Amino acid sequence: MMILLTGGSACGKSSYGERLCASQPGPRYYIASMKPYGIDGAEKVARHRRLRQGKGFETIERYTDLASLILPEKGCALLECICNLTANEMFDEEGNIDDPYDRVLSGVQALRKQCDTLVVITNEVGAEDGSAYDEGTREYMRILGAINLALAREADTVLELVCGIPIVRKGDLPKL
Amino acid sequence: MILIVGGEASGKRTYAEGLGYSRKQMADAVLNDCPVLFHLERLVAENWEHAEELLEPLLKKEVVICNEVGSGVIPANRPDRKAREATGRLCILLAREADSVVRMVCGIPMVLK
Repeated sequence: MMILLTGGSACGKSSYGERLCASQPGPRYYIASMKPYGIDGAEKVARHRRLRQGKGFETIERYTDLASLILPEKGCALLECICNLTANEMFDEEGNIDDPYDRVLSGVQALRKQCDTLVVITNEVGAEDGSAYDEGTREYMRILGAINLALAREADTVLELVCGIPIVRKGDLPKL
Repeated sequence: MILIVGGEASGKRTYAEGLGYSRKQMADAVLNDCPVLFHLERLVAENWEHAEELLEPLLKKEVVICNEVGSGVIPANRPDRKAREATGRLCILLAREADSVVRMVCGIPMVLK
């Protein structure tokens, strides 16, 4: 079972994803793909840790190469998030750009095989005019969009979160 | 309180007019006696560090209108980024307490709550 959660920033994806996983039998894994850069990154990590506290998650930090990740046991995983994983796979420290489409998708597929339930969080980044951005950013918007399309095809359920409220885009609303 | 969200120029205020409010009853990003407030995202941006303090006065409004600002590329500068986050989080709190939540797309209302 794979559930894809999408939506803009700060729309309630994380807390909904955590509630979904908390309703599943363990073990529960939280796969964090965000490199905590700077003060914002640290704040975000601290906030997510606080939210997850007491919900029985084992945190696994994984910034790239999801395909080779081996979970200790079969269970429920929350992958947060595709937008960071894609950026990490796409841009290196020297400013090189590489197409991460296949790596991200094969990583999700490999993870799914190890899970009874996999909840994947992604982000809407395309709901604005991207013409003001540099070519790298526009390419990122295109590739993330293409990855989101592929993930939605593979997912059993796709939910969009708006103001914390889930809208069913595919499949059925999970019982919580 | 009815929360109306949607993209720029998606028909949010027109929808509020359909609920019986005139444009004169709609306050632009300012807390006053008007029953309707719009451009909540601008009000939040003025003081994002204390966005949660807006919750109580906003719950006394009849209609709160907010642009959805979270579905683009994450802004490079911190104040823009934080204001955008604070807007989203505040809307989650407002939606939780609201009697009704409506999202506009191309002038078409979708009732979320």
